[in-house]
Amino acid sequence: MNRFRIFFSRLAGLFRRRALDADLDTELRLHIEALTEENIRRGMTPEVARHAARREFGGIEQTKELYRDARGLPFLETLWQDVSYGVRTMLRAPGFTAVAVIALALGIGANTAIFSVVNAVLLRPLAYKDSGKLLTILTNGSGPVAVANYIDWRDQSHSFEAMGAADYWSPNLTELDYPEHIRGLKLTQSLLPMLGVHPLLGRWFADGEDKVGFEHEVILSHRLWQRRFSGDRNVLGKAIVLDGMSYIVVGVMPREFQFAPFWATHAELWVPNAFGDRVHNRGGNSLRIFARLKPGVELEQARAEIATITARLEQQYPGTNRDVVVTPLKEKVVGEIETPLLVLLGAVGFVLLITCANVAHMTLARASARQKEIAVRTALGAGRMRVIRQFLTENLLLGALGGSAGLLLAIWGTHVLVALSPADIPRVDTVTIDARVAMFLLSVTVSTSVGFGLAPALQSSAVNLNDTLKEGGRSNSEGSSRNRLRSFLVASEFALALVLLVGAGLMIRSFFALQTVDPGFNPHNVLSMVVSVAGSKEADPGRRGILYKQLLDRVRSLPGVQAAGGINHLPLAGDLWGWPFTIEGRPKPGPGESPMAIYRLATPGYFQTMRLPLLQGRDISAKDDVNAPGAVIINERAAHQYWPGKDPIGKRITFDDDKKNPPTWLTVIAVAKNAKQDDWVSDSYPEVYLAAFQNHDFLGDSGTEISSHITYITLVVRAAGDVAALAPTLKSTVWEFDRNLAISEVLTMDEIVAGANAQPRFEMLLLSVFAGIALLLAAVGIYGVMSYSVSRRTHEIGVRMSLGASQARVVRLVVRQAMVLALAGLTVGLVAASFLSRWMAHMLYGVRPTDPVTFAAVALLLALVALLATYLPARHATRVDPMAALRYE
Amino acid sequence: MAQTRGEVLQGTLDLIVLKTLEALGPLHGYGIAVRIQQVSADLLKLNQGTLYPALLRLEQRGWVSSKWGVSDNNRKAKYYSLTRSGRKQLLAETESWERMAALMTRLLGRAEGA
Repeated sequence: MNRFRIFFSRLAGLFRRRALDADLDTELRLHIEALTEENIRRGMTPEVARHAARREFGGIEQTKELYRDARGLPFLETLWQDVSYGVRTMLRAPGFTAVAVIALALGIGANTAIFSVVNAVLLRPLAYKDSGKLLTILTNGSGPVAVANYIDWRDQSHSFEAMGAADYWSPNLTELDYPEHIRGLKLTQSLLPMLGVHPLLGRWFADGEDKVGFEHEVILSHRLWQRRFSGDRNVLGKAIVLDGMSYIVVGVMPREFQFAPFWATHAELWVPNAFGDRVHNRGGNSLRIFARLKPGVELEQARAEIATITARLEQQYPGTNRDVVVTPLKEKVVGEIETPLLVLLGAVGFVLLITCANVAHMTLARASARQKEIAVRTALGAGRMRVIRQFLTENLLLGALGGSAGLLLAIWGTHVLVALSPADIPRVDTVTIDARVAMFLLSVTVSTSVGFGLAPALQSSAVNLNDTLKEGGRSNSEGSSRNRLRSFLVASEFALALVLLVGAGLMIRSFFALQTVDPGFNPHNVLSMVVSVAGSKEADPGRRGILYKQLLDRVRSLPGVQAAGGINHLPLAGDLWGWPFTIEGRPKPGPGESPMAIYRLATPGYFQTMRLPLLQGRDISAKDDVNAPGAVIINERAAHQYWPGKDPIGKRITFDDDKKNPPTWLTVIAVAKNAKQDDWVSDSYPEVYLAAFQNHDFLGDSGTEISSHITYITLVVRAAGDVAALAPTLKSTVWEFDRNLAISEVLTMDEIVAGANAQPRFEMLLLSVFAGIALLLAAVGIYGVMSYSVSRRTHEIGVRMSLGASQARVVRLVVRQAMVLALAGLTVGLVAASFLSRWMAHMLYGVRPTDPVTFAAVALLLALVALLATYLPARHATRVDPMAALRYE
Repeated sequence: MAQTRGEVLQGTLDLIVLKTLEALGPLHGYGIAVRIQQVSADLLKLNQGTLYPALLRLEQRGWVSSKWGVSDNNRKAKYYSLTRSGRKQLLAETESWERMAALMTRLLGRAEGA
């Protein structure tokens, strides 16, 4: 209690300083006058009386000093003095201050921005209850799982508190003001309780609601609820129509809820997953499995258990339970992005180090210019600690300014980062400046301020009073330790900048290599969109084929359209289906050893529109309809792999299993060039294109599970000129047929290709920006040091020139000094870069991490920059007038 | 070691000031100084300046309050008076001082006797 009271009264004293000083003066004057009067009364002369009074009273100034110390908070007051002195010093050198603050703001801001992304993507736990215990169980760590396998794993394992499965499902929402294709998931009942996130409104699915006949319930995402139902709480209990079926809304999830976190990340609704007769299915893999570890069970135990179960099942049902991988959910979510983000964080950390080095030798240079001031302060009684404190205060002041500017930069920077970032970085939409980022900013600011400020402070405070004052504030021979420190700083800047430039150079080369990749087709001037019939009257099996044909014909007749076609899934954008098939006349392959191919359904005109060349054979035509024999186009890779050295044209394959007898044979009619499939850099897998208009799944009349999944067609349209401008016309053309047809994913092929390259572009862009900043800072650094060194050596240069040294000789002298520093830095940098660049191996394409061309080019560039940055000071040195220089004392 | 006009210990000065204010009521700084000199019969060498920081400390602790008033000879002067908690503090400190003094006396007396 008392301590607070004292503190507050002292704090109050701080603010009423002037008034209290006046009060004290009055009191003391009164006291001395009274003493004097008393003395006079005792018979002293006024003069003597006054002196005696003074003596009796003691030191007036000491009293005042004691009084002030007791009154305010001496620590704060000293701080205040230092701060206000610091501000004045900073204002007196606005150039220095501006450069230092800008450099710090860049360093701190860039670090904070990148850290805020790392924080949101890598550090923050997933937004589920006790998310560290959540796992995924997937084929090869990423592929889907068959229903029967999931059920066996769930029933036979003991390591898990719960297990659940999710199926991708994207229905059309109709019977509202407009139709919409919505991405969603079908979940087993166990899944939502396992995640532990309660609905904002309503409830989870109840037990048994994932049984056939009870599955017509739906839980909405917050976003969908807001967008289509205006956040109306009465939506609970209402029926909505999805793919023509009625579903009752039973819940709305909170705004932050997102599931699944690594695939189907944009799901906006969840319905129960009724397996029905799929419970015996070990072939059609479509489930992603999630599980929660039992308390006390380690990840390795769970892995061992799953390995045992799958090995047993694999014996029982060969080819169905291979390569099943248990991965912690967090690792699955952030796994692929972790290395690039850490590389970026490392790079931006280097930028900060360079900033520190730069500001450090700026303060060093200034400190030597201020030597006399410090000597005077020391002579007047300032202790070493006091001087260091003064320096640190000034640096913290710079740091605070830099940090505040850096915060603004970081806020802006995170927006830019999020906008630029590739769409597939998980959780990037949750990037914010939160408490952890703020702590990071604060600690970075303080540690850089102390870091760049401590060395100069220590050196400057160790001033030799006599020398400094005697020399009249000029020392020709600078302390060699200070020189060494400054040289070290510049050399380190060059080393760091070189590492960054190598990183950026490798990314740039890798990016250009990516640009030269041939996707197999020509992506320019092609517009694509997904048209979905589900939920409209066109979903009717008899009508689908007619609609698609008429739609394509109508589109081809639009002005400007050169070609149009349709496919189930677009390369690089859409889903990817792989299917086993059988080749006619070959022995039946063992389980799990069937030939596999990526499975596409193409209409006539698709190859022409995509300009995907057919190397031999004929294109799919309008004649390849349900009445014609089955036709299929295979890619080069399939031809090489399954008919090596033979002509595949005319050979027959089937996708039917043994149960169907006779199977539907498909004759190979052409071999197409390899096209990119699901990502830009991988080699193409074997791929087949079936004639869509003879495929009953596509036409919707096969009555199989698959046909209920293919309720859409992806249109591709090639046009002259601005193909994106065609989108509104295309949409209205579609809606002329039926207002209930849902249109989604309207994208140009160029956009899709850019999307496939978004991550390397993002990484290249950021690394280049960081490297650019590093280059600039290193150049400023060496320029600053050299011009400073030249100005300190004016006298020496004058002597040399008056003794007959030529201008060229002087230039050489200065340049050599600079180049020794730069080259030392570059050598260290080259070694460091060759070690560090291997971290980037996974981010590179078509270039090795130790690419000699990049290393050489970067080193040359930096050496040139060093030369240029030294040229100005060197030239300045030759302009020295020997007479003036000699007098320059 | 025969320093009869000893320096004043800090805590002691506080106690003396509190006692003075209790005895005489509200008083200005000069008045307190004069009173201390009188009572101590000049045995105590008080550096009168030190009185003011001491008064400030007492005020910060809430044992003394101050008010501007007019002195006997019509000058503006700051008057200090004892607060309620100052009175309590004075009692407590007096007590502990007496205990201490008694202890010291006993200790020193015995030491001399031995």
